[in-house]
Amino acid sequence: MSYSVNISVEAPTENQIQEITYDGTEIYQPPLTLSESLAKYAQKIDFSKTSEVEIKKEESNEDSKSDTDSKDAFQSSLWPWDSVRNKLRNTLQEVCVLADVLAIAKDKRYLVLDPVQQEPLETKPMVQIYARKKALAGAASVLLAGSEKMKNSQNEAARSRTTLDFHIELLRLRQNWRLKKVSNTIIGDLSYRTTGSKYLQTGTFEVTKAEDEEKVTSPPSSPLPGGPAPVKPTSALRVSIPSELQGVAYIEVLCQKDQEDLCTANLTLLGSGPPPSNPDMHWQQKLEAAQNVLFCKELFNQLAKEAVQLQAPIPHMVVGNQIMATVLPGIQLIIALRHSTSSDKKQQNPPPSKSDHDHVLEHSLHQLLREVHHKNTHHPFPHPATGPLGPSKKRMLAGPTAADRYELLEMTKTQTLLEQIVQQAQHFIMRMRTEYVLDTIAKEVKDPLITSHWNTLNSPTQSCVKIHISTHGYDAVCRTPLIIHVGEKSLKCICRDGKVMNMSYEPQELRDLIFCHINQHQILAVQALAKTMGWQALGNSNHLGTGTVEPLGNASSCLLSSPTGDRIIAVRCEPSDTQVSVAHSPRQDFFPSRLVTERKWEHLGGQFRDVRLDKMEGRNFLHKMELLMASLTSSS
Amino acid sequence: MSTPGNAMDSLSAALKCNIIPNQEYLLQGSVLDQYVEVLLHRLRGLCDNVDSGPETFHDHEICFSLRIPNSGATTSMPMSVFSLRVRRAIDVTDTPFQLRYIGQQELGDKNRPTVVRSSIDMACSSSIIEFLNELGCRIDFEYIARGYMFRKGRMKITVSKIFKMGSNKQESVEPISQSYIVELSVLAPSGQDSIGEDMRIFAEQLRPLVQLEKIDYKRLSNMM
Repeated sequence: MSYSVNISVEAPTENQIQEITYDGTEIYQPPLTLSESLAKYAQKIDFSKTSEVEIKKEESNEDSKSDTDSKDAFQSSLWPWDSVRNKLRNTLQEVCVLADVLAIAKDKRYLVLDPVQQEPLETKPMVQIYARKKALAGAASVLLAGSEKMKNSQNEAARSRTTLDFHIELLRLRQNWRLKKVSNTIIGDLSYRTTGSKYLQTGTFEVTKAEDEEKVTSPPSSPLPGGPAPVKPTSALRVSIPSELQGVAYIEVLCQKDQEDLCTANLTLLGSGPPPSNPDMHWQQKLEAAQNVLFCKELFNQLAKEAVQLQAPIPHMVVGNQIMATVLPGIQLIIALRHSTSSDKKQQNPPPSKSDHDHVLEHSLHQLLREVHHKNTHHPFPHPATGPLGPSKKRMLAGPTAADRYELLEMTKTQTLLEQIVQQAQHFIMRMRTEYVLDTIAKEVKDPLITSHWNTLNSPTQSCVKIHISTHGYDAVCRTPLIIHVGEKSLKCICRDGKVMNMSYEPQELRDLIFCHINQHQILAVQALAKTMGWQALGNSNHLGTGTVEPLGNASSCLLSSPTGDRIIAVRCEPSDTQVSVAHSPRQDFFPSRLVTERKWEHLGGQFRDVRLDKMEGRNFLHKMELLMASLTSSS
Repeated sequence: MSTPGNAMDSLSAALKCNIIPNQEYLLQGSVLDQYVEVLLHRLRGLCDNVDSGPETFHDHEICFSLRIPNSGATTSMPMSVFSLRVRRAIDVTDTPFQLRYIGQQELGDKNRPTVVRSSIDMACSSSIIEFLNELGCRIDFEYIARGYMFRKGRMKITVSKIFKMGSNKQESVEPISQSYIVELSVLAPSGQDSIGEDMRIFAEQLRPLVQLEKIDYKRLSNMM
C-alpha cells in the first residue's frame, strides 16, 4: 500500500462489443448517431416519477417555462419527441384505467372477471421441426468449426513434436500399398490378387490414425510426450491387420531320412500364445510380414490341395499343416507351414529337428508360386493381332500342324507345384548322394587320383559333374574322363569311350561304376606307359572272365612283353587289389621231359611268378610298374 | 473312338452349351498421329502388364471375297458377297496364318454399349491363300497394320496404323491417313452382354483422348 500508483481512467475509444460469437469473433456496435444517443438518454427518464398531475401541469404550462433550468433544457429537447410523449401518456391512461378496473373487480360486487376462451394457437409441427433443425444445424456447424480449429492447432503442436504427420504417412503408405476409401475408413489390400493370385482369402487391412493417448502410454518412461525428442518417432498412422495374418510365417522344408521324429516337431512350434500387438513395429514391416503370412498360406494351401489330388505311388500325407511326400525310398520331403504369432517365441524354440531346414528348397517353392502368379497374368499376345487372347502359341499351331490327340493332351498337362518341388528335392538328394560317393571314393582310393569338377551352372533339376581319374606324375600318360549327369531319379554317365550308362538312384551303382573305371584306368595307363618304354601290349581285357569272382564288377587285365620279347608282364586289376606277374621267355627252369623233349620249347615262356608290389619301391602303381619294366629291360 | 461323327456331335454340343467365343464386342475410334503418344501413355497406365512396354505387332491382312450367284434369282440382290480375311504376322515368323470370318454387325439400340458381330477365326498354314484362290475367292483389298496392343482383363486394345500396300510388296508402304485406328474388342460366347458394360466403362476412361464408339459403316458409306 505504500506505493502509490496513478491510475487514469478513460472511456474506451473503441466501440462497445455487441456480441461474441462462439468461435470467438466479436461483433462491435456501430457508433451511435446523435439522435440515437439522444434516444438512449431519453430511455433513462423515469416516467413513473412524473405523476399525472405533473404532466397535466406541464401541459398547461407548456409555454410558460417556469421550471428549473434543467427541466427547461429537458423540455425543450423533448419537443421533437412529442409523439412519443403522447403515446406514453395514453399508455399511462390505459394503465390507470386498468388499475381502476382491477380495483373494482377486486370487490367482486360490481364486476366479475370471467376467463375468456382463448383461440388455440395454430402450431404447425413441421415448421417447428424445420426451425429447430435449422437452429441445431447452426449450432452444430459452429461447434464443428470450433473443433476443427482446435484439431488444427493440436496437429500443429503434434507436428512440432516427433510424430510424423498422418497425411504424409498416408501418402507414403499409398506409394507402396493399395488403398481405397470406404465411407469413413481407409481400407488397404495386401493380397497378391493384382499380380495373378487366385487365393480366396482376402488381405484387407485398415488404416487408422494413431490416437494420442496411445502414444503417451507406449513410451511410459518419458514423462512429457511433448518434451524434447523421444528417441523413436512414433508413427501417426496405425494399420490393423486381421488376426489370421498377424505374426511371422514361413514354409519349412525338410528332407528327412526314415521316420525319425515326425510327430514331435510341429507340436511345439504350433503352441502359439495370444497374438501380441507389437506397437513399436513400423507399419511397413507389419504389412510386409502380413503379406508374407498370406503368401505362405497360399503356397501351403496350394501344395496341400495338390498333395491330396495327386496320385503318387506312395500317397502324400497331409496332416495338420504339414505335408509329407516320399521323394526316394526311405527319404521324405516334409513341407510345413510355420506360423508363430508371437514375435519373441522364435528365439525360444529353434526347430528341434535334426535335419536342417532347406533354404534352397524353400526359396524355390516361393519362386514356383510366383511363377504361377506371373503366368496367370502374363498371357501371351496373339500374333497376328486379331487372334484370340488366351491360347498359347503351341495351341495356335496345333491346328495347322495337325496335332493329334496325344499331343493336345500333352499340351494340357502342367506340372503341379508339388511335383516340381518333389523333383527338385529328388535332384537335391541325388546330388548329395553323388557328391558323397565321389568324395568317399576319392578318400578311399589313393592310387589313381580322382578329381571331380561340379559345373557351376545348373538347373534346379539337373546338374553335371566331370570326373578325372589320373595317376600322380603320370597324368600326361593317361587320364580317364567321365561325365555324370545328375537328374531327378537317375544318373547318366558318359564314359571315356562314349558309352552311356544309365543308373538308378542307388548310390552303390555309381560306386561300382567308378571302381570299374578305376581298374580300366590302371590297365590303360600301364599299356600307355609300356608304349613309352618300348614294351609291347600283347592284349588286354576290360572284363576278365577268369579268376576269382569279384563282389562287384569284373577284373581287368593286360599282358605286356619286353622290347626283346623275353619278358612278359601280366597285370590283373580288381577292386580289392592288383596282381602283377612276370614270366621269362627262355624259361630258366626248362628241363626236357618225355613229352617236351626239344630245347626250342623253352622260348614258349615259363611259369608266371607274382611280383610283390607292396614290397617294391615307387610312389604309386604306375611308378612301380615303370621301375619293374625298366629293371626287366635292363637285365636282358 | 473319335470318329468324325463323334467330333461333329461334340462340336454341336459345344455350340449348344455356348462355350465357343464367337461373338466379338467392338468399339472403334481414331486418334491423330501427333496425339498417339499420349494415348499410348494413358493405355500403359490403365492396362495389365505393361512393365515390359507395349506389345507391338506388324500384320498383313488380305480380304478375299467370294461372290455366290443367288439361286433365288431376285433382281435386287443378284449376288451375295461373302468375305474372308487372312491375316499373318510379319514380325513373328513362326506363327500360323489366321483365317477369319466377320459377320454382319449389329448396332442394336442405344442401350447396347458396343457393336456385336459374329466372328469365327482359326489358325491355318500359309497355303490358305492358294486354297482360297482355288475355291474361287478373289482378293478384295489388302493392307498392312502396324501398331501396339494392350490387354485389360479380357479386353484387347489395339492401336494400329493402316498402310496401303505398294506395288513393290516389301518396300513401299504408304500410310492411308494421318491417324491411328483404336479398337477395343472382346471375343466372347454369345449372350455375355455384361462385357459390353465393362467396355463402355473402359472407353469412358479414355474419353478425352479418343472417342470409342459404335461405328455404323452403312452410315459412313452414305456420308461419302
